[in-house]
Order: sequence, then structure tokens, then C-alpha cells
Amino acid sequence: MKKPAVPVVMHDFEKQEKEVTLNLGMPGLRIQYFRGPVWGKTNEQIRKQIMEGNNPITGRPVMRELVENLTKPLTAEEQKTGEIRKNVGPDMYTGTPDELQKLFLEKRYTDFLPVVLPTEEKVAEMLKATSHEPDEVLGRMNPGSEAGENWTYTVKDAAINAVMAGAEPEYFPVILALGSTGMTAVNVSDNGFMAGAVINGGIRDEIGLNYEEGAVGPYAHANTTIGRAWSLLSINGGNCGKVGTTYMGTIGNPMNLIGIIIAENEEKSPFKPLSVRRGFKEGENIVTLFMGWGILSAKNWAATAWGPNMNYPAIIKEIYNTQDGWLFGTCAVLSPPIADFVRDAGYDTVEKFTEWVTGLKPGAKPVVGGNLNSGIRRAGGTFTVIVTGGSNNNYFSMGGMVPARSAQIDAWR
Amino acid sequence: MKLRIALITILCIGLVCAVSMLGSRTYAQGDRVGSSNPKITVLNPMGTPPPITLIPQAPRLDTLDGKTIYLINTGYIGTDRFMDETAQWFKANYPKTNVVYKDNQSGAGLSSLSNDLWAEIAEKGDAVIAGLGH
Repeated sequence: MKKPAVPVVMHDFEKQEKEVTLNLGMPGLRIQYFRGPVWGKTNEQIRKQIMEGNNPITGRPVMRELVENLTKPLTAEEQKTGEIRKNVGPDMYTGTPDELQKLFLEKRYTDFLPVVLPTEEKVAEMLKATSHEPDEVLGRMNPGSEAGENWTYTVKDAAINAVMAGAEPEYFPVILALGSTGMTAVNVSDNGFMAGAVINGGIRDEIGLNYEEGAVGPYAHANTTIGRAWSLLSINGGNCGKVGTTYMGTIGNPMNLIGIIIAENEEKSPFKPLSVRRGFKEGENIVTLFMGWGILSAKNWAATAWGPNMNYPAIIKEIYNTQDGWLFGTCAVLSPPIADFVRDAGYDTVEKFTEWVTGLKPGAKPVVGGNLNSGIRRAGGTFTVIVTGGSNNNYFSMGGMVPARSAQIDAWR
Repeated sequence: MKLRIALITILCIGLVCAVSMLGSRTYAQGDRVGSSNPKITVLNPMGTPPPITLIPQAPRLDTLDGKTIYLINTGYIGTDRFMDETAQWFKANYPKTNVVYKDNQSGAGLSSLSNDLWAEIAEKGDAVIAGLGH
């Protein structure tokens, strides 16, 4: 277009903008920073607090700088051409285990917890769990939205991160399936998104995934280390989760510590597995990725006040109708006893229950999207049911998580 | 007496567990008991970033007088008010500048702006101020 353009951005995003503009090939792009946020402010507040104020970074008047950014002649640096590549360091590091743990921490290769150091031997052992070549490109990943560039990672990169996470080689096909989707476990958004995955098929028992008590928590080696491997692969393979550049969650999200790995309790669920409902064959080993705000015990909603008579289907419907379904819809993670209550109320399939909860015919999509300034369009949004956990009480979780891609695990053996 | 036997039993079980746990402890690579903490070599876990092609910035304007500046609200909440005030500021301080305000109707973020809008800016605009809100 070759017209001068100046993005106007809150100064809190300066570090990220430097990274983004570098990724786009314009490392010195002129950006006008101001003190935000503007959301929620009146016109008068915006005028007095922002436009009549100074750029918090330079200390100079915002509007004067804005005009200069459009009119001041370009420097030689701003007109540079050519190609550059970021340096990601040497292929190997040598040191004592303590030195290497410290180095990995300083270089932000970790999730701030100690890792299993990825020696060639351990990585080679991990690679034996797949028939895929180490140098095969497994995926491309960016932190989400417009903020990042697509990094490439190989099967070997995934093996290195899987070792660091403490995963066993038999978990590796699941980790590769997750990595093959290119979806990050740590999204850049200031909203503080989380990511999770639901696993269906016989592989749940084969590798010891927990789908009984504590199913959505870190209470089994397989669930925990697979989720951690996905997070580390996102941090290292995809360069995600770096606060200030590729992570901007205003509050953050505790569910980002590891990707949440949920094995469905297919044996005790009255419904077809999620993977089958998404078109895969019964018994096929499938991982379905989720993204959203996360889940929280449904006990947090007034609708679930304890009493002698509990109408769980109606409670779930009421919670659905109080969700903002705009981005991620509503997700219900039901323990088997709650799923049984739903079935016993006459909803013997998830499809029937979904139709009743959402008021939408099968296949119909809730009205969402559009301009944010026009307000929220529909409560609830899409509705997803996952059945997992123990049968020791009538508990369940609700929240916003929408299924994204599914991947076949056996393709990565 | 029964209580004493129970306590002794619990202590014995605890001792057996403790011994068992000591026996099963694993160590980091090279970190052998009694060793001098030897050096090991480990692999870099990073992926590969794409190459970056540098793009020169567009030449600046010599003056704003007589020029058309597009104010783009990329769609985040509150940006409409910010851009409204920006338009008022230009009207008051640069009366010879033509300011055109455009609202993103199809989402949030620069990438969701329509091709038609970019074509219009290319044809009629001299400069762009894009507001990212928040």
C-alpha cells in the first residue's frame, strides 16, 4: 500500500509490539503508545486521561508524537531491507546437571519447575516409540491471534520436550498427535485462555490415563506429563508463553501450568464417547483439543445449591443460560452419576440433551460473532459434554471450552 | 496393650515404607551418589523460527494539510470512543486535514478488516491511524 500507517497501542504492549513488528519484518515500526485501557472509559475520560496526556514510555505528549510519527522523515534504519533470522542457540549444551537446570530456567526452556534433562540417550529412547523420522516436521505453531510467527518443530523437538516433561516413551504417540495439530497449549491472549485435550479409545488404559477420581487434575503420571509435554512443546517448539511478548494474559490462568488432559470415562458413561460423536470409529484412539476459559466446579453456581432433590438436567440448562457463549460456548464435564441423572431424565444421547439445553435443532449453530461493540449476542453458545471422573458423589464442572481439532493417535505410533 | 501393638505396627510399616522409598529413588543423569557431579550434554529444545524479510516503512507525509487520514477502529471495545475523540482532535487542530473514520464490522484486529476497506484506503487515503483498543 505504501501509505504511512501508525498503530495506536497501549504502552503495556510495547515489549510484545517490538516482537510482533520484528516478526513482520518491520522492527522499527512507528507505534504510538498511550496509557490505557480505553474500554469502559467515557469520551471525556479518554480525552483528558489519554489524549491530553503523555506517552508513558517517552514522556512526550501523545498527540504531538502521533503527528510526528506520520510526518517526520524516515531514518536509514527504518528503510532497511534484507533477511534476518532469530538465534535460538546451539544444538547442545554441556554442563553439570545443576548448571543445566539453571541454564534451562534462565533461557525460559522450562515451566519454572525442574525438568528431566534431555540427553541424547533419553531422547533416542523416546524416539523409539514412533516410526516417524526424527527430522520430520511435526507441526507449525504460533501463540495465537496476530501476535506471533509460525515456528516449526520436528518429531525430535517433540521428543526432547517430552523427555523434559518426564513423559514415558509409550505416551509419545499422544504427544505427537497433540503437536501435529499446531495448537498451542498457551495462547497469547490477554484473556488468559487455557487449552485441554480429551482422549478416547483403548490407549487410555494402555498408558494408564486416569479417568476415575481426580480425572481432570494432576493425579496420574500419564495425564500430568502428557499435558506438561504439550505445554513445553508450546513454549519451546512454538515460542509461546513468554510473558510480555508471546503471552499477555492480564490475570493469567492456573490451567496453563500444564495442558489439561482429560480421558473420558467411557466405561461408566451412558453416552457415546466424544470422539464417536465427532465422527470417529468406536474404540479408535483419538485426542480432541479444547480451548477456552477453563472449567470450574458447578457448585460455584447458585443453581446447584445443595438440597434433597436435585434436578441436574435443569441445573445444567440454567448454568448454560448464564454463560457468555461468545467465544467458547459452554462445556459440561459430568461425573458418571450426573450423566446417569441426565440419561434417566429421558436424554439417552448427548444430542437429545444438547437440543433441550440449547433450544437448537441438531446441527444448528448458535448466533455468535460480529463486532464487539454491539454487545454479547447469545448466552450459552455451543454446548459440549464430557463424561469423566469417579462415581463417589454427584459432582460436575462447567465452564467455557470449545472443541477444536481432533487427531488420530495411532498415526503417530 | 492393643493400642501399643497398633502403634508398633504402624511404626514398623512406616519404617519399611521409608526404606523402600530410599531404595527406589532415582537421580538425574550423571548425579550418582558419591560421584563428582560430572558434566553431561543435553539437547536444545527450541523449534525453528521462520526467516524474517525486512520491509522498509512507507515514506512519511511532508504535511497533514490537504491530506486524507483514515482512522481505523479495529473492533476492540472502547476504540470507537477513542477514535471519535481522535477525529475531534484533528478537526480542532488540523482543520485542513480530511479525517475519515471507519469501524471494523467483521470482528476484532487488523487481520479481520475487509479487503474492500484496504482497497479504499489505497485509493483515497494518504495515511492510516489504526486503533487497537483495550
